[in-house]
Amino acid sequence: MQNRAAVVAAGRTKFGEHYEKEPEKLIEEAWLKAAQEANVERKDLEACYLSDYFLPITNKLGLEEGFLSELTELHAPMEVTRSFSSALTNACNAIQAGRYNIVLVGGIEKMTDRWDKIRDDLMLLEDPWSYYAGCTPEANHELLLRAYIKKYKLNGQDLEKLGIALAQIAVKNHLHGSKNEYAQYQRKITIDQVMKARKDAHKQLGLYDFAPISDGAATLIITSEEEANKYTNKPVYVLGSSSATDYLTYPAREDMTHFLVSQNSIKNALKISGRSLSDIQLLELYDQSTMMEMVSLEDLGFCQPGTAWRTVYENCEDYKGYYEIGDQKLYVNTSGGLKADGNPLGATGGAQVFEIVKQLRGEAADHQIKSDQRLRYGCVLELEGFGTKGYAHILGRDEE
Amino acid sequence: MSSEPIERRVSYLGDRLLGNRCLICGKEYFEIRDYCGKCGRKSYGKMAKTDLFYEKGTLEVCTLINEPTNKFTKLGSYIYGVVSFHDGRIRVPGRITDRMPNCNENVDFSSLEGRSVVPRFRRRYSVEKSDVVPTISLAFTFADEYYPYQERRTAKSRKEYSFPGIVGYGVYSSRFRIKEENIVRSVPFIDEDSVTAAVEAGKLALIHSGIDSSLVGKIYVGSESNPYAVKPIASKVAQVLRLGEEDEDVQGVDAVDTEFACKAASSMFKDAAALVNYPKSDVKYAMVTGSDNSQAAPRDCPGGELDLFVGYGAASFIFGKCDLIAELEGWYSCTSDTPDFWRRDGEPYPSHGGRFTGDPAYFKHVRKSSKKLMDKLNLKVGDVTYFVAHQPNIQFPIRIAKELGFKEEQYLPMLQVAKFGNTYSGASLVGLAAVLDIAKPNDRIVIASYGSGAGSDAYSFVATDQILEKRKNQALTVKYQAENPFLEYVDYTTYRRLKTGM
Repeated sequence: MQNRAAVVAAGRTKFGEHYEKEPEKLIEEAWLKAAQEANVERKDLEACYLSDYFLPITNKLGLEEGFLSELTELHAPMEVTRSFSSALTNACNAIQAGRYNIVLVGGIEKMTDRWDKIRDDLMLLEDPWSYYAGCTPEANHELLLRAYIKKYKLNGQDLEKLGIALAQIAVKNHLHGSKNEYAQYQRKITIDQVMKARKDAHKQLGLYDFAPISDGAATLIITSEEEANKYTNKPVYVLGSSSATDYLTYPAREDMTHFLVSQNSIKNALKISGRSLSDIQLLELYDQSTMMEMVSLEDLGFCQPGTAWRTVYENCEDYKGYYEIGDQKLYVNTSGGLKADGNPLGATGGAQVFEIVKQLRGEAADHQIKSDQRLRYGCVLELEGFGTKGYAHILGRDEE
Repeated sequence: MSSEPIERRVSYLGDRLLGNRCLICGKEYFEIRDYCGKCGRKSYGKMAKTDLFYEKGTLEVCTLINEPTNKFTKLGSYIYGVVSFHDGRIRVPGRITDRMPNCNENVDFSSLEGRSVVPRFRRRYSVEKSDVVPTISLAFTFADEYYPYQERRTAKSRKEYSFPGIVGYGVYSSRFRIKEENIVRSVPFIDEDSVTAAVEAGKLALIHSGIDSSLVGKIYVGSESNPYAVKPIASKVAQVLRLGEEDEDVQGVDAVDTEFACKAASSMFKDAAALVNYPKSDVKYAMVTGSDNSQAAPRDCPGGELDLFVGYGAASFIFGKCDLIAELEGWYSCTSDTPDFWRRDGEPYPSHGGRFTGDPAYFKHVRKSSKKLMDKLNLKVGDVTYFVAHQPNIQFPIRIAKELGFKEEQYLPMLQVAKFGNTYSGASLVGLAAVLDIAKPNDRIVIASYGSGAGSDAYSFVATDQILEKRKNQALTVKYQAENPFLEYVDYTTYRRLKTGM
């Protein structure tokens, strides 16, 4: 690939409830961290790509660019997208095309201000027909699980193991989150807690199976390959990015047990990057629910359809910090995932990339992976809606 | 809902579950689209509309929703899932209605998955009082429970009669009941109202009659519990049931709501009959529906006496001149300005004149119309097989029937008030349907409705030979709905909550 886009710095806020901070203050905080890291001045920025899923609804902010311009006295070109991955893809395209040499990619969401109406907003935006029929943001995940159980004819012990495997995913993510200074939940949980929450809910998925709503922001500074060394000696390259789109109405999709968007975007991203699945060492998945994380392992190709629960179960009985699949060691959601790290929609993808960048650079502080192999390749999967859009990014560092 | 065009678009597709089928490859889609995704541009103009409203689906997967989103909170907890039609070729999201699962209950989903379901027309969710009431048919009930699936078969008319009459009818009442002393009354589920009942009754009438809905040229809906002061129920019924010739999304049918307390619908029988009989009207069939979620103030409030009698339901009759089940022989109507029962604009509940509702009101008018009609047709009591009267309570219809000289076997079959309560505009119509459910050819039925304010319409019908052959299209008979094993009984508090609705 020519003129690879390079991540030279990454910044983020802690995710969680930021009652006292305006949305633009959150993005400012994340930007300052990244700027400091790479010693970039705001006048250096040639363009900005921002993402927020629904600030116009949650915070009555329509022209997000204007707020940022006012705050930073920045008058460069700015574009707003819905997801961080979309902003990142656009930024990388512009860099590769030679249009810009240095751009800021930022994502922001402030959901907790509207906690009492947020589930209606989320559901109506992600799948309106299901919303009109009475669906909740959680119900689609539960139906995904029901459809999965039915398709792979799981019963008896297998069904029990599937339930435990999903709980193990939540426990694992909280374990990872407990070491991540930015995570919304920095505490460990137990399988019993996950199981009790399900029992209290009278359902197969409970409180601990779902990602929370969050406030937060994340930023990346992206430069052209040529410029990268001006700002860092440890650039992380975006080797391949791809996205795919599917129906808005989840029940109307051909396959209710897998996400077509994940399958398609990973294929293309790998092709663009010239890498293969077996190169991937780090993986940040979009675990809106434990079920979604499990299915994504299959969709991306790490596990055969209908088997990921077994892989998770076998690896988590005595969890070593990674999954061993064949002879591949796979570190999954070392940030804590959406479950523990938090899920401020527009910023979520930023935190996912942030995690991979920090790990690849060996700067992940308390939760830095101690691997016997050098960490070179990571992959991020971000979804929009309930799998209506999917983005896969392959990130990597050069050989030393 | 402030954005009315969005509401209309959602209702237009969702009320009837409209979809598309590609005539080239057969792929089906929920919602309307101009092209098939597989066949591309060559499928333009080759997409056929599919209408799932009369079809049977399968509940594929489901889950329990015990923490609904804000607009659905009044529903409490419910089963929600994915429903497929046509062997899985088309799938839609759906809520299972008419069930009140306990939110602390463990539901065995696999016992529900795979079962057949029928689409039901319901309110979608709660809105503000001044908003448009959103509706949808992404609500389903199990086909082997209260509301069985009935295939709709349309046939060309075979026999034309010299005089107009009833071609088919349908009665709809909900699955829920309240039982107090000697009276059982129907209670709407929380997502039901007089609009949804009118649609259900009309749907059943279309199934029973076997006619093509595009030949219905006029629809009258009589009600005193329309959720709107201004906006007809009839327009919703016309749109959902696709009455009249369809041109884009406009129906070639005249739709109008009528108001005259409990005789708002029965009054229109003669108009419907006259219309289909007028050679230049070009109206082959006319539908008359009486529908009410009968209103009453709570028991401890003024006017709360009515709360002991009010029911919920609708009855729909289709008039025409072909394939009749009963010919209309004649009628007599009378009116006087008697304010025995009224509801002022803006008031939620009606008031009544207490002891005056009986003699100067009900008895005087029903007596007058029945006697005059029988005199006019030169009928003696013995010439009448069944007598049907408006039934606000158990005593009134019995007393007037006896006074007119009818025997028990002539008037007992019409008495439905103890099974459904007073269904206001539907009350005498439900009685008529109950009698038509059992009538034999050549049986004569005299019906006398009553509407406060006040007036009465008496009609005489004579059953035809065709009444027997059409009976197989009538699964939801009055008796079936009254004696159904799937009825659910609720207490007074639940009854008031359900009746108030979303």
